[in-house]
Amino acid sequence: MTTMTHVLTDSGTLLHRNLLHMLRYPALTYFVVGGPVVFLFLFVFVFGGQLGAGLPSTGGSDRAAYLAYVVPGILLTAAAGTAGGTATTVAMDMTEGITARFRTLAISRAAVLTGHVLGNTIQGLIAVTLVLGVSVLIGFRPNANPIEWLAAFGMTTLILLAITWLAVAMGMASKSVESASNLPTLLVLLPFLGSGFVPTDTMPAVVQVFAEYQPFTPFIETIRGLLLGTPIGLSWLWAIVWCLVISVIGYVWSMRIYNRRSVV
Amino acid sequence: MSTASLSTTITPGLDRPLKNRTSARQTVSNSLTMAYRGLLKIKRTPEQLVDVTVQPILFTVMFTVLFGGAISGDMASYLPLLIPGILVQTVLTTSVVTGVQLREDMDKGVFDRFKSLPIARISPLVGALLADTVRYAIATTITWIVGYALGYRPEAGLGYVVLASLLIIACAWSISWIFAFFGVIARSASSVQGISMSVLFPLTFLSNAFVPIDTLPTWLQPLVNLNPISHLITAVRGLADTGTIGVDVLLALAGAAVVVLVFAPLTVRAYMRKA
Repeated sequence: MTTMTHVLTDSGTLLHRNLLHMLRYPALTYFVVGGPVVFLFLFVFVFGGQLGAGLPSTGGSDRAAYLAYVVPGILLTAAAGTAGGTATTVAMDMTEGITARFRTLAISRAAVLTGHVLGNTIQGLIAVTLVLGVSVLIGFRPNANPIEWLAAFGMTTLILLAITWLAVAMGMASKSVESASNLPTLLVLLPFLGSGFVPTDTMPAVVQVFAEYQPFTPFIETIRGLLLGTPIGLSWLWAIVWCLVISVIGYVWSMRIYNRRSVV
Repeated sequence: MSTASLSTTITPGLDRPLKNRTSARQTVSNSLTMAYRGLLKIKRTPEQLVDVTVQPILFTVMFTVLFGGAISGDMASYLPLLIPGILVQTVLTTSVVTGVQLREDMDKGVFDRFKSLPIARISPLVGALLADTVRYAIATTITWIVGYALGYRPEAGLGYVVLASLLIIACAWSISWIFAFFGVIARSASSVQGISMSVLFPLTFLSNAFVPIDTLPTWLQPLVNLNPISHLITAVRGLADTGTIGVDVLLALAGAAVVVLVFAPLTVRAYMRKA
């Protein structure tokens, strides 16, 4: 067996472990889905009438226009929300000594982290799909063709991989499980501070500059464009660049901590 | 000096006329002492004030900066609608802490210690509720200051702002009896937090706190109109923005009185049973 085969086999085994965790503790998935669904109902039914009035008309009501606008933001809030669970499970593994146990086994070092990343990415995809399902139930009607759906799925997977690598690093850097669960909450705020819930041109100048250049704005604009046919421009390119940058930062940071901290 | 003058007669405990009641004066005195204990806790652990300091700043800035332009066209015109709403939401959310801390104290066993003291049984409960009015006052003051810093100018003037603040504090104090009840009957502090927030979250957001009622879906409007928090927010807006003491002020006060009349006896009974 080659080194690469070893890495893949070990990653598969540890992915299986993480998926078992997900099945045994479904509460975490419910929590990841629950928050964005509450936001969806809150923003569509409470704020939708008022916020939709300023959006370009879609032929329907202001609320319908706002529903179409906000769903991509909600989907990425769900994606960002998975980071908390990821960081918590990683911190639990670090503090409870299982990671130290893995260090003594003849398995690939990268596989331990890759297992976490892949497992939580799958959990994130399930959460995003469930939130999308609820959105469709309350009237969201995307007009994407199969290729655009595939591109949206690929983009969401890339975003989730990037967020998860960063969350793994945050979980490993945390001194306790409590601080690990608090650290990634900043990520959930980013869709709000981007074009997720209101157009950036309605924000004050200082916030607008931040909103336009932070990673979640191109993420949201790309998903919105793919699902609804709104102009994407270069957002797709920026989204991919941001995903790669965040993934590399997360990977390097987590591997460095893993090699340094998990020695028995 | 004779030995007779030094001798004292000790009455056996069984023959001694023991009191199992405290006077109203002693109850008030004990309750104020317990309230002072609550204030000392705030002084010694100021980090517990994070919710009353950070939340109003975060919510006010976030809603004004992020949604002000989209909801009202610009930040300034959104503030008269938003600040009273944020104010009520923040102070009512703060009242949850009463129940949580009560449960924590009961879990730590400090209330068992109070039971062994010759004090009014009810005083630790009343003291905790009184001390928390300071938290409400801090939350109220900070929200007004943040609103002012962002450009909000209550038309009615300072006198009516103070009246509006007192109304909110009174209503929050009355609602804290509900959370105190949860605190007494619940199994853990986290469950008190969970129950309380699941009650408060829909009540505060399904109100007229952030948007005018007529922009809500028609099926939701009757629910929002029935929501007592909507009446409190309307009362605060009326006081701060136009200086009117309308029907909503009376409804808010009547609602607060009803809550106290229902939940104070329930809480006291549950507390006495546990104590």
